[in-house]
Amino acid sequence: MKLYEYEGKSLFKRVGIPVPNGVVTSEPIRWQGKAVVKSQLLEGARGKRGLVRVTEDVYNTILELKKLGVEKFLVEEFVPHEKEFYASVLLDRETAEPMLVLSREGGIDVEQAKDVKKMIIPLERGVRSYDIVEAEKYLGVKGLGQIIQGLYKLFVDYDAELVEINPLALTNDGRILALDSKVILEDNALYRHEDLLKELGRQEVRDSYVELEGDIGIIGNGAGLTMASMDLVKLNGGNPANFLDVGGGASREHVKESVIKVGSNPRVKKIVINIYGGITRCDEVALGIVDALKEVKKPIFVRLLGTNEELGKKILRENGVNVYDDVLKMIGDAVRS
Amino acid sequence: MNKNTRVIVQGITGREGSFHTQQMLKYGTKIVAGVTPGKGGTQVNSVPVYDTVKDAMKEHEADASIIFVPARYAVDAIYEAVDAGIKLIVTITEHIPVLDMARSIKYARARGARIIGPNCPGIIAPEESLVGILPARAFKKGKIGIVSRSGTLTYEVSELLKNSGMGQSTVIGIGGDPIIGTSTLEVAKMFDQDPETEKIVVIGEIGGTMEERLAEAYKRGEIKKPVIAYIAGMTAPREKRMGHAGAVVYMGMGTFESKIRAFKEAGIPVANTPYDIPKLLLS
Repeated sequence: MKLYEYEGKSLFKRVGIPVPNGVVTSEPIRWQGKAVVKSQLLEGARGKRGLVRVTEDVYNTILELKKLGVEKFLVEEFVPHEKEFYASVLLDRETAEPMLVLSREGGIDVEQAKDVKKMIIPLERGVRSYDIVEAEKYLGVKGLGQIIQGLYKLFVDYDAELVEINPLALTNDGRILALDSKVILEDNALYRHEDLLKELGRQEVRDSYVELEGDIGIIGNGAGLTMASMDLVKLNGGNPANFLDVGGGASREHVKESVIKVGSNPRVKKIVINIYGGITRCDEVALGIVDALKEVKKPIFVRLLGTNEELGKKILRENGVNVYDDVLKMIGDAVRS
Repeated sequence: MNKNTRVIVQGITGREGSFHTQQMLKYGTKIVAGVTPGKGGTQVNSVPVYDTVKDAMKEHEADASIIFVPARYAVDAIYEAVDAGIKLIVTITEHIPVLDMARSIKYARARGARIIGPNCPGIIAPEESLVGILPARAFKKGKIGIVSRSGTLTYEVSELLKNSGMGQSTVIGIGGDPIIGTSTLEVAKMFDQDPETEKIVVIGEIGGTMEERLAEAYKRGEIKKPVIAYIAGMTAPREKRMGHAGAVVYMGMGTFESKIRAFKEAGIPVANTPYDIPKLLLS
């Protein structure tokens, strides 16, 4: 679960990571002096989209941003700073240990950064004094202790997938501040953090829907098969509009909701459904598709195989749905139609 | 793993546990006992049920355990199996928190136990033994070893091989989570040593660098048998989780491009789609 910047920063404060003074508001407010107004959205690239603004007139800036549909704002003091860095903790999949990632280039897309340092900090020992010395030497600043300890503590104690500060700033008066926060908590461990969810007013949602840019809706069972179907659409010259894995053992109701979810996206012109039923039963899938078709009036191409496939195919055929055995033919027909 | 492998089912009385116990028994798997706390003394499909793995091990010898325990309690089930001395632990359960897995895998390794999974479909030696949830219809005895991060793609590719007249020696679904007990490379090395296996199929996904490590080992000559690879997720956007926890690219590590490049540099043929795999195996 991705947290809003202000939620991440409230966790930062809890573990002693310094952040600028600020307030969260959904209405225009009066503010003395220069400030940064940051739209609180879960999508990235807010800066590039003009949704983060440095201003002397907070009141009217909020009014303008509200017109663009933004509902929540973090208003912070403007902090003059001389340097920006990058710092994060995430899991290193190779060693199965937390990894501290630092860069002397901050504020940028870290994937593009050439200057990156990675330090594995094993779970058994946690952050030690010599880690901090090494990090401070690399970034060429002092006073990183609380920040690194804090990032690590958030990562472990809150079961985070990623805790990131970008940029981490060295201010003109020598302080180190987290100007932004990006915190992603692991969905599987949210049950251990019910208090935090209650505090943030957030609810646990599991959703495997991913939005893409094209016009063909993609549904499959199992992440691998769904991804492969999405790739096949692209290889055949089509453009996937989204990705939805119905998961194992999907019920009629769940399949119906999934098809409606994909089909109600106005960009979706047609829908491709690729099912290999193991635990999943093809007749349940077929019934779900037929139910959904009462609401979704778009062409649907289905390939059904596995548990109860004959029954499933019969249900689809009787309801006039194109059902295939051959995936390549199904996707080819869908792209060309 | 073969037809003599003796298996304990943890979580045998649950919906998935009891259903798949039946399927595995039908396939010929030697299931010696089941475990569900509080259900000791009962039976599921004529398999005796115990409260703890330790109790089961007093009465039966077992080489492997398969775990169908719900996510919140699954890590305990893993520790329990390790402590009872079981050497192969196949964890089917999905949604186990990743730090719990990191710790339990390390614990198991230190005690000489191997974990397959979590969030995996298990292992099948066609026409011999099934420790998992793989649908029997897709498999046929043969000479191809398959190691895969994805459940449904494993079934799909196995079925394609079967339809092209090729069977499988052993098929292992290692699971789609970021941290898993057994890697692609470890399984490929086992296939390389296995006299029943002639060629190896690797089914990977975006995220992590397991496939890249396999490619490097192949390049160094640590795997001698022919390898064919496929990677799902060509069109997946970055930092978006594609269906399960492992298929996500952070910090640009484990992209589709980096995996394909690694395979090509190592001289491993890469299938464009899963449907090209049989063709590449036959050529």
